[in-house]
Amino acid sequence: MPTVRLAQHNVNYELVGDPDAPVITFINGLTQNAKLWKNYADYFVPRGYRVLAYDMLGQGRSSKPVIDIKMTAHADMLASLLDELDIKQTHLASISFGGIIALDFAIRFGPRLESLTLMSTFAELTPQLEFLGAVMLQGLTDVGLPYMQNMLYPMNMSSTWIAANRDRIPEMRRAGYIGNDGYAMQNLMESFVEFKPLTPDLHKITAPTLIMNGEFDFFTPRECHELIRSKIHNSRLLIIQHAYHAFTVELPAVTMRQLEVFLGQVSYGGWHGDQSVWVASDDPSAKTQWLPCAGDWTRAIQVAQPPQERAPVVRKPTPKKARP
Amino acid sequence: MTDLERYDQARAHIARVGFTPEIQSKIALLLSAAKSGNLMFHSQLQWMPNLGLAQQFIISQSAREMEALALLRSMVQWSPDPRLLTESIPIVAPLSTAWGQILMPPGPLFLPRAAYRGISLGHAQLARMRLSPIIPENADPLAPFVVALQRMEQEDGRMLQTQIRLLKNLGTDIPVSEREDFIEQDQELVSAVFEQFLIWLTAP
Repeated sequence: MPTVRLAQHNVNYELVGDPDAPVITFINGLTQNAKLWKNYADYFVPRGYRVLAYDMLGQGRSSKPVIDIKMTAHADMLASLLDELDIKQTHLASISFGGIIALDFAIRFGPRLESLTLMSTFAELTPQLEFLGAVMLQGLTDVGLPYMQNMLYPMNMSSTWIAANRDRIPEMRRAGYIGNDGYAMQNLMESFVEFKPLTPDLHKITAPTLIMNGEFDFFTPRECHELIRSKIHNSRLLIIQHAYHAFTVELPAVTMRQLEVFLGQVSYGGWHGDQSVWVASDDPSAKTQWLPCAGDWTRAIQVAQPPQERAPVVRKPTPKKARP
Repeated sequence: MTDLERYDQARAHIARVGFTPEIQSKIALLLSAAKSGNLMFHSQLQWMPNLGLAQQFIISQSAREMEALALLRSMVQWSPDPRLLTESIPIVAPLSTAWGQILMPPGPLFLPRAAYRGISLGHAQLARMRLSPIIPENADPLAPFVVALQRMEQEDGRMLQTQIRLLKNLGTDIPVSEREDFIEQDQELVSAVFEQFLIWLTAP
């Protein structure tokens, strides 16, 4: 993978596809790296896109500052990377921690976006997220990186995935331990200390925005995505059936298909950013991919209307027969 | 940063031959060079004026490096082959040279850059020399050398926290960008040494 020098930092990236094709840029989650988007590049390049993936500061083979990274530095660095690669505009797709960077980028560098996809993310720390983040950071600092890795599997993935991959998990964990630097991750997480909610600026985002949320994501639950949906006018919320937090990894075929549908609508017409809510088909080959969402999407259960009460039957008193 | 493949090769080699005295001695020679440098540095730095609360943390770091070295030396099944020592010298030379430059008089007590560089190099060693991924699955988890490696790595993680706090919070006039440059250079230096070490480890 090539590396560019931006300010005093090295940034590792992978850019594949026809130089004239529209670009999709992927932004990683906290413990991810650019290599994890390879199957997405394999999917989208033959479909006429150019795919850029890169390691954020603190990830993979990019520079890993220890002292300080301001949250805003990540979006600034993405803008510099696009400049360096002579990319004027891009579709931007992001997950989890990367979603905040994408939101910040969309707010401050909006004209550079053709579209925005936000997956499993948030614009501000809800009290629940704030406490979860504190526990994660405490686990990393007080116990160590392997502890945090162990913690993230059940938070990110479904029981079905864990059961199916149980034998592979120790090797995946080892690769993650080698590929991540705990101190760099810690620095990324500590940058949240100065994190200011992005919610007040979400209305500035005008690019077509697809917000994707796993049906059972309890790490960044529906309320996080609902808040984003309610503030970005040119948006739609798409719920991924059966999915947990890391559905880009767990359900790549479904995710790629939804992204393809969205990018197709944006590029060739058909996109309506009306803040409506949809459910993604769990069959990537199905003709209809976005199904209308019935009921209250912010609830985990759908409460039926109570049965209508019958009006009490009042019998008319039967007139007493006069005794003969 | 060291490639996964290098770790895989080292682990496969150890899985094949076991933790022989040669393997154990090679690991011990690397760790001794690294931890001795960090120990000497912290032993000097603890006398730096106006450290305040940080002094106790620095003393603790040197004590923990001393414990790690004592644990290592007592648990290693040493090879009698002196060739291993001569082979290790060029591999650890970048570390020895760097520590030598840092400790060279007037040294970290009087040179703020040397002090910061020492903390940065110690941080890079604790962060980038990770040996648990080369322990094969078939290794006895209760074998004394395996236990020692695991304990040292856990302790390295805790020591790393102190190094991070020192790097972030130690009062210094050195600009942040220059400090980050030190840190990045030291990470690259240590990663290069560790990569050469893994190649040496798998050599016949």
